[in-house]
Amino acid sequence: MKVGLFIPCYINQLYPQVGIATLELLEKLKVEVVYPSGQTCCGQPMANSGYENKSIGACTNFVKNFKDFDYIVTPSGSCAYHVKKHFNIIEQTPEVLNVRKNIYELCDFIVNVLKIKNVGAFFPHKVGVHNSCHGLRGLRLGSCSEMVVEKYSFIETLLNEVEDVELMPLNRNDECCGFGGTFAITEEAISVKMGKDRISDHLQSGVEVITATDTSCLMHLEGLINRAGQPLKVRHIAEILNSQKRT
Amino acid sequence: MASKEDILSKIKANKPDFIELPDMDFSVFDDRKPILEEFIKKVELAGGSIFEVVSIDDVLDKVSSLFPDAKQNYAALNNSEHFNTLNLENVKQAQDLERLDVLVLESDLGVAENGAVWIDDKQLPLRVLPFITKHLVFVLEKNKVVGFMHEAYQKLNLPETGFGVFISGPSKTADIEQSLVLGAHGALSLTVLLV
Amino acid sequence: MNHPKLADLFNEDEKRVDWHDKALWFVRHKRDLSVHQVQGWETLRNYGRAIKAHTLSNLDAYLEEFESNALENGVQVHWAVNAEEHNEIVHKILDEHKAKKVVKSKSMLTEECHLNPFLESKGIEVIDTDLGERIVQLAKEPPSHIVLPAIHKDRHEVDALFQEHLGTEPCDGNPQYLTNEARKHLREKFIEADAAITGVNFAIAETGEFVVCTNEGNADMGAHLAPVHIACMGVEKIIPKREHLGVFLRLLARSATGQPITTYSSHFKKPREGAKMHIVIVDNGRSEQLGRPDFRASLHCIRCGACMNTCPIYRRSGGHSYNATIPGPIGSILSPGKDLTKHSDLPFASTLCGSCSDVCPVKIDIHTQLYKWRQIITKEVKQPFVKKQSMKLMGKLFANPKQFKISGKIARFALKNLPKKIINAKPNVWGKSRDLPTGQKKSFDDWYKNRQKHGE
Repeated sequence: MKVGLFIPCYINQLYPQVGIATLELLEKLKVEVVYPSGQTCCGQPMANSGYENKSIGACTNFVKNFKDFDYIVTPSGSCAYHVKKHFNIIEQTPEVLNVRKNIYELCDFIVNVLKIKNVGAFFPHKVGVHNSCHGLRGLRLGSCSEMVVEKYSFIETLLNEVEDVELMPLNRNDECCGFGGTFAITEEAISVKMGKDRISDHLQSGVEVITATDTSCLMHLEGLINRAGQPLKVRHIAEILNSQKRT
Repeated sequence: MASKEDILSKIKANKPDFIELPDMDFSVFDDRKPILEEFIKKVELAGGSIFEVVSIDDVLDKVSSLFPDAKQNYAALNNSEHFNTLNLENVKQAQDLERLDVLVLESDLGVAENGAVWIDDKQLPLRVLPFITKHLVFVLEKNKVVGFMHEAYQKLNLPETGFGVFISGPSKTADIEQSLVLGAHGALSLTVLLV
Repeated sequence: MNHPKLADLFNEDEKRVDWHDKALWFVRHKRDLSVHQVQGWETLRNYGRAIKAHTLSNLDAYLEEFESNALENGVQVHWAVNAEEHNEIVHKILDEHKAKKVVKSKSMLTEECHLNPFLESKGIEVIDTDLGERIVQLAKEPPSHIVLPAIHKDRHEVDALFQEHLGTEPCDGNPQYLTNEARKHLREKFIEADAAITGVNFAIAETGEFVVCTNEGNADMGAHLAPVHIACMGVEKIIPKREHLGVFLRLLARSATGQPITTYSSHFKKPREGAKMHIVIVDNGRSEQLGRPDFRASLHCIRCGACMNTCPIYRRSGGHSYNATIPGPIGSILSPGKDLTKHSDLPFASTLCGSCSDVCPVKIDIHTQLYKWRQIITKEVKQPFVKKQSMKLMGKLFANPKQFKISGKIARFALKNLPKKIINAKPNVWGKSRDLPTGQKKSFDDWYKNRQKHGE
């Protein structure tokens, strides 16, 4: 199994620890991972802003870097969703179709391809799961509260097996955090209010660490938490799954 | 007529290629809930009251005991002359109906999943009656209750009437701060008497 | 003012935002409880969607079938290409009956056509009879929600409005008292009315009848008392057969308020003895929307309002911030089809979270359509220079790995080494309420290369 690791642009630059945790975790799970060095971005920032046509170069570069892998794994539900759903703007060669088919968000890959639930992690904290929208409603990484389907969640499947972790219930299980890419800037007031409301839900529930499949949501929430000086931390799910008992 | 042609020709030009109607399998909705119990539950959920009476002859006695202070009554039932204080033939204008306290109508269709009762021109001496009355009473035979709306429409395919309505509970509104208030414009209360 | 500005204003009173958000979330929650009791709910949604898709593909034939059946039922049918024609037709009918006092039940179409001001300018009194609509009418505001028109008003505001306009006693916002006073006030209007106008929820081609759903009974009070009943409908309200109501009436109220069905689902087929019934069928841009393959599914909408209740933006910005007849997610995909420039802000008033699409009873892919409108707007509506240039630059950057690495280094350096005050200063909108991430010395790239070099 040839696995290519896609590290989204902002993780690469701003949250390298998330990329490191992802790589280490996959290697720990005996996956042979290659990190193609020519990768940049999936093109989502431009496309969601209405400039899909300006993202074609990014899409093409993405395919060029990842066309030869059996699986592409990324610690971002949002980017994986973008590749799957919106890479229809370039010519649908077999390579493009393969890339769209083979890209997996990290938890999805561990649970459904590797078929592993217990990754041997240890994380003695009260954790609140933020269900990032593109992963949840785009990739269906879990059941959403709107639909009448059997309940499931890949991220919780993995967290449930983490030693000493305590998963905290929330009032609103899958409401958006308000990041939304350029929305965070163009609709600043609502974006901030949505984030504050998510944070207070986690605080009321006694959460110590908010986790998610997307660093973008967490960056937004962390920005608010740090500005307000609130007793909360954010950790990408890869960081939790890669945590171990200090020996 | 020019507008009609204009609209239809634009639609014809712009509509997608023909798409078939879905094959619908209504059995997927069968939740096996007991029909009568579900009906009673849903009438109450909609804010209505529901009672069982032994026979159709007991209906008006039951109504009188439920609404002892009612002055203006009308029942569209056989042998209700002693009960009726309103003569519909004398009704000339809406104001004449305004003081109607209790209206009793016989329905031959109820729906368990939502507590709705069907009534149409066949059983309605005047269309406005079930809306303008203060209290509305339906008489319904137990075996006339179906489980779901699709079954209700299967039954409704025969009668050719000019007006019909499903009514579920009394008139209500929650337009002021989401507070539920019974009795908006229509009946203040709804009672179903199961025979 | 555009959506961000109006949303910003709405957010000046945070307690008010919380109140508004909770009121609508409560409705969404009731919807959840209700639909989770329905065996086969997702199949029901699929059927609803499929029937609507089929209907649109044969819409001209169904409209003609509907008309001919309605005519046979003794109903007069009129066709209006646009809002102006719709208003003229309604006015002409009223004029023919010398109608001066009109009671109207909820109809988003007549809102869209601005019927009230038009009739009022002709000396006709139009009274909105849905309680919520009456409240906003007294306040001289448009509805802020399609099912809950006065959801943005609290009980004390309603109390004050009623004291001013209906002469009620101060009641500390008692909903029971206020509703009862409205009942009395509107009862008079119903009895005096020369004509009744209603909307249409569903029009059945097979029978020529139309169905109107209300909880209050106001459509029926109007229609059964007045000598003339005018029902106004958009062309997309058609469904092929009566049995299809067995799908849509199951979906509608549960999605709207969580009720298993509205109190009244009235089937109007023939006028009552001595009375007249008219139907006005309106296009007003709908046939154009039908011609846009990416957006035609927006015409499936059955106006339940569930996408508004679920939308985290709508709940925190209020219906008026959309500046459109239909607010919220569904309005944001309908309105650009009517006036792209005026409504070019709306498709961006979303995080594309997708909750609207999953809550929609007829499975309209709302968030995908929002995304698609964005692509069109940036091409056809003039965009801010900075936005356009930065997107162009980003596009180039991401197409070229080398340039990407260099600029990443610069950004990280800036974040790490510049004082927080400068980083979070204006015009950095992000930094108004949020800290930026602390800059990392190395990118993942650097770390990985280093690791490769040293063989771990």
